[in-house]
Amino acid sequence: MSEKYIIQIKNLTKIFGDGVEIKALDGVDLNIERGEFLAIIGPSGSGKSTLLNQIGILDTPTSGTILLDGVDVTEMSDKKRSITRNKQLGFIFQYHHLLPDFNALENVMMPLLISGIKSSQARKTAKEVLAEVGLADRMDHRPNQLSGGQNQRVAIARALVNKPSVVIGDEPTGNLDSKASDNIYELLRKLNQEHNQTFILVTHDVRMAEKTDRIIRLVDGRIAGNSKNST
Amino acid sequence: MFELDVATRHIKSRRRQTLFSIIAVALAVGIIIIFMSMMSGYTSILIDSTIENNPHITVMPKDGEDYIHLYHGLENHIYDLEGVEAVSSYFQSEAALQYQHNAEGVLLYGINPEDENRVVNREKDMFAGEFASLANPGSRIILGYKMAKNLDVEMGDTVTAQIPGAGPADFTITGIFRTGTPVDEIMAFVNLERLQDFYGSGDVITGMGVKMSDAYAAEDLANEIDRETGYDAVSWIEQNAEILTLLETSEGMVYFFYIIIFSISGFGIANILIMIVMEKVGEIGMLMAMGTSRRSIMLIFLLEAGILGMTGVIIGCILGYGASLAIASITIPVPPEMYFGMDHLPVEIELKNFITAGIFALVINIIAGVFPARRASKMDPVEAIYSV
Repeated sequence: MSEKYIIQIKNLTKIFGDGVEIKALDGVDLNIERGEFLAIIGPSGSGKSTLLNQIGILDTPTSGTILLDGVDVTEMSDKKRSITRNKQLGFIFQYHHLLPDFNALENVMMPLLISGIKSSQARKTAKEVLAEVGLADRMDHRPNQLSGGQNQRVAIARALVNKPSVVIGDEPTGNLDSKASDNIYELLRKLNQEHNQTFILVTHDVRMAEKTDRIIRLVDGRIAGNSKNST
Repeated sequence: MFELDVATRHIKSRRRQTLFSIIAVALAVGIIIIFMSMMSGYTSILIDSTIENNPHITVMPKDGEDYIHLYHGLENHIYDLEGVEAVSSYFQSEAALQYQHNAEGVLLYGINPEDENRVVNREKDMFAGEFASLANPGSRIILGYKMAKNLDVEMGDTVTAQIPGAGPADFTITGIFRTGTPVDEIMAFVNLERLQDFYGSGDVITGMGVKMSDAYAAEDLANEIDRETGYDAVSWIEQNAEILTLLETSEGMVYFFYIIIFSISGFGIANILIMIVMEKVGEIGMLMAMGTSRRSIMLIFLLEAGILGMTGVIIGCILGYGASLAIASITIPVPPEMYFGMDHLPVEIELKNFITAGIFALVINIIAGVFPARRASKMDPVEAIYSV
């Protein structure tokens, strides 16, 4: 049934505000394949981040359903949502949101510790992932001792450490210069290909979007374009 | 347990505020322990001095009678009861003592000094002369230091006692006692037989003092004597019921102040936690995105309140202990009769006070942490993440 699609979105609507209502999402239908590397683009206020937050189960829709690996996440209890976010989803935001009082390694260990994995095992796994993003020699640095690009790499490592099936990125390179952006993009692409994980990125950067498998264009909360890239 | 890890890192990241809020708790706990130690000391001195300076049970005549007749049998009977150490019969009368132009009212007690000494150690309070000198059935009197001063008399002087219902009689002062309590002004002792003769009432007494090995068993035994013999037996507990109730009431009042003091220190904890929560909004959002449950978020901040509170409690206990010891070692220059003959501030260091103050402080601090912790746990992860 859902073998092919990791995410199936049906008629998703999100309305904000109780006085003046704003339709952030207006009947979105979207299927995303396993291992797909997808970009969501659109002007400000088009509902990109809102859609991403629905997929990330950080928010609940007004109506419609989202099946993640065949399970409707909109019906989940708060506790179940937390567990699903921890096990199946990885998040990368524009700002890295690393815990400033923990070093790189400890930050990457955090999702594993939250899921209840033993500290020694978490340390081992986190080290491997940090090495994969090229920060083997920066593990005991705190976020304020690392550059913007390095911090974003730590954030990527943290998003991947639980081996989630879907990685969500909201403008993951928005705070970085073009060289660092390219590097981060290369890294994400490489990880996507190696682990066959699904990546969904919201971006303003058309250059970056063009290098993905598919571009979803949102306008006023509706899908206005859905095009496969040839590369 | 990553919650504890996050909590300790948060606290460590705000060293100065952490220090101040811990000091606030420590001071509150310390001050309250000193308070409690002094209250305990005061209470136990009051009770000890009551137990030591009064008969544990006083047996008085039956209802409507003035005297206990044929008291020797009753004396022996009570002496044989379990837990009784000594019995002293007395004849009590009001009198006015007169010396030259001075006159003072007094409660005159006719006693057998040997028996009396066994019930209440009068000998140890003697300022001059010997209590045992009253064993001689002559006209001898022992009075209090204050009374001697008021009458302006010394050892060997002769005072005249005006006793209602009997004529005046002269007594020679063979002893002066000093307890440091109001007793020094109102009690005087003479020989029992001498007072009975003088009164012309025959061999009767007006009361009997009983000393027990366990003062706290007095209430039960007093009831037993009461029931068994029909005489009116009153324990020291019943006799001092008002003071004991007053002590309990004041203890209750003091708790009200404890709550206020602890609340002030609790606000310190709440303050630093509210600050941390505000500063860490994005971090809380990210922790939620990573799958931290709302319960765990709540736990993180409650742990922070608990750690700050616990540290404060430990330091406060040490502080309170040291200060209590220091206060106990100070001699105070107050006149001893004002404070039951004390020359030190009464301080009693009791483990239960430390436990009470500690648990009390910890509970209030954790309550103080509930508000910020709830606020953190109720955050909308999306708003929290995008607030940065």
